[in-house]
Amino acid sequence: MSKVKPAPLPPDTVIGGYRIVRKVAAGGFGLVYLAIDSEGQQVAVKEYLPSSLATRASGELLPQVQPEKLSLYRLGLKSFFEEGRALAQISHPSVVSVLNFFRENETVYMVMNYLEGAALQDFIVTARDLKQSKVFRESTIRSLFDEILRGLRIVHQHKMLHLDIKPANIFITDDNKSVLIDFGAAREVLSKEGNFVRPMYTPGFAAPEMYRRDASMGPWTDIYAIGACIYACMQGYPPNEAPQRLEKDRIAIALARLRGVYSDNLIEVVEWCMSLDPLSRPQSVFALQKELSREGERRYTKLSVSEKVRMQFDTMVAETKKSVQAVAPSVTKPK
Amino acid sequence: MKFSVFQISRKGGREKNEDRMGYCYTKGSGLFLLADGMGGHPEGEVAAQMAMQVIAGLYQSQANPEIEDINAFFTTAILAAHRQILRYAAEKGLTDTPRTTLVAALVQGTSAHWVHCGDSRLYFVRSGELLARTRDHSYLEQRKRLKPDNQAPELTNRNVLYTCLGSPSRPEFEITGPVQLQQGDRILLCSDGLWGSLDDTDIVFHLGQKPVGAAVPDLVERALIKGGPRSDNVTVIAMEWETPDDFASTRESISTDNIDDGVFASTVQAGWVDSSLDDLDDAGIERSIAEINEAIRRTSARRS
Repeated sequence: MSKVKPAPLPPDTVIGGYRIVRKVAAGGFGLVYLAIDSEGQQVAVKEYLPSSLATRASGELLPQVQPEKLSLYRLGLKSFFEEGRALAQISHPSVVSVLNFFRENETVYMVMNYLEGAALQDFIVTARDLKQSKVFRESTIRSLFDEILRGLRIVHQHKMLHLDIKPANIFITDDNKSVLIDFGAAREVLSKEGNFVRPMYTPGFAAPEMYRRDASMGPWTDIYAIGACIYACMQGYPPNEAPQRLEKDRIAIALARLRGVYSDNLIEVVEWCMSLDPLSRPQSVFALQKELSREGERRYTKLSVSEKVRMQFDTMVAETKKSVQAVAPSVTKPK
Repeated sequence: MKFSVFQISRKGGREKNEDRMGYCYTKGSGLFLLADGMGGHPEGEVAAQMAMQVIAGLYQSQANPEIEDINAFFTTAILAAHRQILRYAAEKGLTDTPRTTLVAALVQGTSAHWVHCGDSRLYFVRSGELLARTRDHSYLEQRKRLKPDNQAPELTNRNVLYTCLGSPSRPEFEITGPVQLQQGDRILLCSDGLWGSLDDTDIVFHLGQKPVGAAVPDLVERALIKGGPRSDNVTVIAMEWETPDDFASTRESISTDNIDDGVFASTVQAGWVDSSLDDLDDAGIERSIAEINEAIRRTSARRS
């Protein structure tokens, strides 16, 4: 595989009536540019150019695709179209909107709203480095996810799932709006089972059913990811991966440590969303919204002394086990 | 014209899902399609997909914005799809041909018409009552029709069909209509995965209980549960006819009154055939781009 990344279009290149200002992002699917439309408005232009299948020399416009990779290239194009189709149907302030779609330079381009701000991921990293007991304030978390859930509800109403919700895909604009971005993984729920473009997943945020082929995914799959995002906003770090949780689930303990810092209700909501069993989660965004927007006095139950001791003991045991394993990896456990 | 529609296809215990469905509409008419690629012959999913694409393509060229001669349209469409499948089999040098059933409903003005070939069915329900249902082209239903009092029809396998699209003999099909539509009428198209598990009374009852968007997934779930681990694939598309009203409807329904003359919207996509067989060609890319831009226009029109 060629490790050379395709070169971005040079600044001031005009494609489809949009003038490129600069490259702002690159991913497996291609490149995103800041561009200016004919009326002087800023837009984001996403160029389909998968780095594993296509190359482009610096200063060139046309990508080169090796003949043996052409059919994969076209297959990837289909999922790029799927993303376009998905977004084209949705108009909501909390969902990135697509403005135009066109073909040029032997590839295709998706024009979207240009958002100024930063990903939630960046905010979490900045906040956790302050090393305070709370990463985010509870009211911030609630209002942020209230907005995101409004958008997600519309997505689900269109019978689509996002399937890659994570802090890096939640964008906070400079005027304080949160927007769901990157629907590259979105597949129409009803579309046929793919044999190549299976949804990829992000460890920690992907629900257990995403790891199993053939398992039925639904709104609850995105809801798991929402729970994991709230968890990350509280802890500053992503939760354990689902397969790890299936072996030994430490989420409840990790959340218990936050008691007294965040309200009981918020902690319960996260546990509910992140249930390993899809049926035990909120089955719809609406059900989750209702719980999350519940007004009233927040209860904070601090850990009791005995609970704290038990927890410390638990950590000690876990660490001892680890070191024992490290010292004697070949010891077989008696059955 | 105003209607709400819901479609869903779920895989049962089978290795693959050879069912296909979709709908398209113009300002003046709507077409609903369902095809069930047949097992026991090669590439059933290709036959089903081809039938959808050929018929949706013909509809797009002939619905301006209405279909002038509906009987002629149905006849041409079915035969064109049939021939396309045979051509495909010949080009690929297949020793046996891919085959599919087909059921299609066309609504236009204030009436409905339908055509079917094979054992995919159409149910026409008004206020919770079954007004009409297609009769399968299976030996079992043929015997029931010829001898209604036959005591042992169950001995005949319900799955054996005497006609379909793609077989060496010319397909037989039945056209029904026009049937006048009333507010709230429901038309359901389904593969045998649904009616094989649920009785007509169940289907009719549950279809009438909730809006199609809730009733259809419900029905499919019931059929899959009843079918158990070896359930057939279940595919259903259903529409509810709504009379255009002055007040905005709260439900998500499609109104064709405000769309422009030349507009054609379709859920029948090129991307459905097995990806290995169906590389996007230039025309496919152009079509996808045009469809997406049309969707963007529709969405922004709804917003303003």
